[in-house]
Amino acid sequence: MRTLLIGTLMHAKHMSRSPFEVSLALVIPVVQATMAVHLFRAGQEPHRLLEAAVGAGLMGVWSSVLFGSGGAIQNQRWQGTLEMIIMAPRRPVTVLLPITAATAITGTYAMLATLLWGRLLYGIPLDLARPYAFLAATLACVAGLGMFGLLLASTFVLLRNANALANPLEYPIWLLSGMLVPISVLPSWTVPIAAVLPTTWGARAVREATVGGPVWPSIGICLAIGTGCLLLGAYCLTSFERRARAAATLALS
Amino acid sequence: MSTLRLITTGGALAYRALFNWTSPTMYAGTLLAGPTFQLLFFAYLGRQLRVADDGFFIVGNAVLAASSACVFGGTMAVANERRYGTLGHVLLSPRSRTAIFWGRVLPYAGNGLLIAAFTLTAGSLLLGLRIPLAALPGLGLALAAGSLACGFFGLTLGALGLRFRDVWVVSNVAVAVLLLLTGVNVPRGELPQWMIGVGHVLPITHAAEAARLLAAGRGLGAAAPALLAELLVGAGYAIVAAALLKTFEAESRRRASLETL
Repeated sequence: MRTLLIGTLMHAKHMSRSPFEVSLALVIPVVQATMAVHLFRAGQEPHRLLEAAVGAGLMGVWSSVLFGSGGAIQNQRWQGTLEMIIMAPRRPVTVLLPITAATAITGTYAMLATLLWGRLLYGIPLDLARPYAFLAATLACVAGLGMFGLLLASTFVLLRNANALANPLEYPIWLLSGMLVPISVLPSWTVPIAAVLPTTWGARAVREATVGGPVWPSIGICLAIGTGCLLLGAYCLTSFERRARAAATLALS
Repeated sequence: MSTLRLITTGGALAYRALFNWTSPTMYAGTLLAGPTFQLLFFAYLGRQLRVADDGFFIVGNAVLAASSACVFGGTMAVANERRYGTLGHVLLSPRSRTAIFWGRVLPYAGNGLLIAAFTLTAGSLLLGLRIPLAALPGLGLALAAGSLACGFFGLTLGALGLRFRDVWVVSNVAVAVLLLLTGVNVPRGELPQWMIGVGHVLPITHAAEAARLLAAGRGLGAAAPALLAELLVGAGYAIVAAALLKTFEAESRRRASLETL
């Protein structure tokens, strides 16, 4: 636990020192929120502007986790520190989970930024149906996404350009998780896929806390699937790490 | 003739050298699947909100699909020379730097055109949009004009790489801004006046407008003003890029900061 906490803090600090990461984290969610607000206004649904701002915030959290997880391995490779963290006398999961957890935590800025942006610039009232449940749902969503990020990152150990593989995954998860588009408008074959994603349940919990609805079951399912991802990710990570060591491909970039 | 060779052969060689990080899988994932998913996302969002019909989002996002490849490509054309430590060699060349860098935009624009055409085809097949056959040549022109303008826009951003260390921040923000301000996903009439004004001088805006007119079967005559406007925007960025490259090159030599990372 101490390794996880200190590791998460260290990686969060590390990310906050990168002008590239900070600049993008500051600007992109605000652009997405602006677009969402104008689209919802154009659709004659101004009563759903808060949903639009929250949805844009969730999109920002996912982007942060996705690119953070994609880059978790690749950045260590580029910095020449991958061997060192793999050599650490801890399970691989305890040294990698802090990276994905840090990306999820820094991603919560997107949620704050989009809500604040909507309030200040567009006068969207922050009339959350269940404010405390909203906080719990956001934290659960961030935790779920962080654990899902670990599963992604573990599969990226074997890939030399994992960050490029992460690029096309941004929009499908936004779409399938119902962050801005309700799942009900998607083709029926997407429903089972959406149901096994922690992002779907995290987004549902946050939306239910915003507009009203049973928040806690969604939080529970999000965390349960997230825990499943964590266990699977830990297993994959150990297995893939051994394969990468055996094939001498761990640090190839 | 030798200038033409410099532009075409030089551009192709630089493309192979500076775009060397990609592989077929990465290309398909990042440059073909990514824009297609983006198109589907906005088409479904548009359906749900009833902002516009599928055609609006399919055609608009197909034109925009070229932007990532062209903007980042144009930026790479300058910034990666610096990253790989070869910028000094390029600037030692006795040939026109303007011709060298303009030539570099062409392969990226060609790549952008390919991506845009793929995205339009995929979007039309997946969502069932019927485009009149007679509109295809005009649509090709609109996609090409948008790609070229984006390439020169990227080159302008790449020129900033001679002055600023982290030009990729600017490129990433620029691509996000194109999504918002070009009217590809939000009908321009719904945007504030100042956003519409900025959109007028950005690439893609006029190409998307022309492509929508053509896809609606309005003919090349109706789309010609928008096409011309897109080409003018592209030409404007080409001139700005050349001026910035010249200015920043001189300043980099004077301050000995040419390859400072």
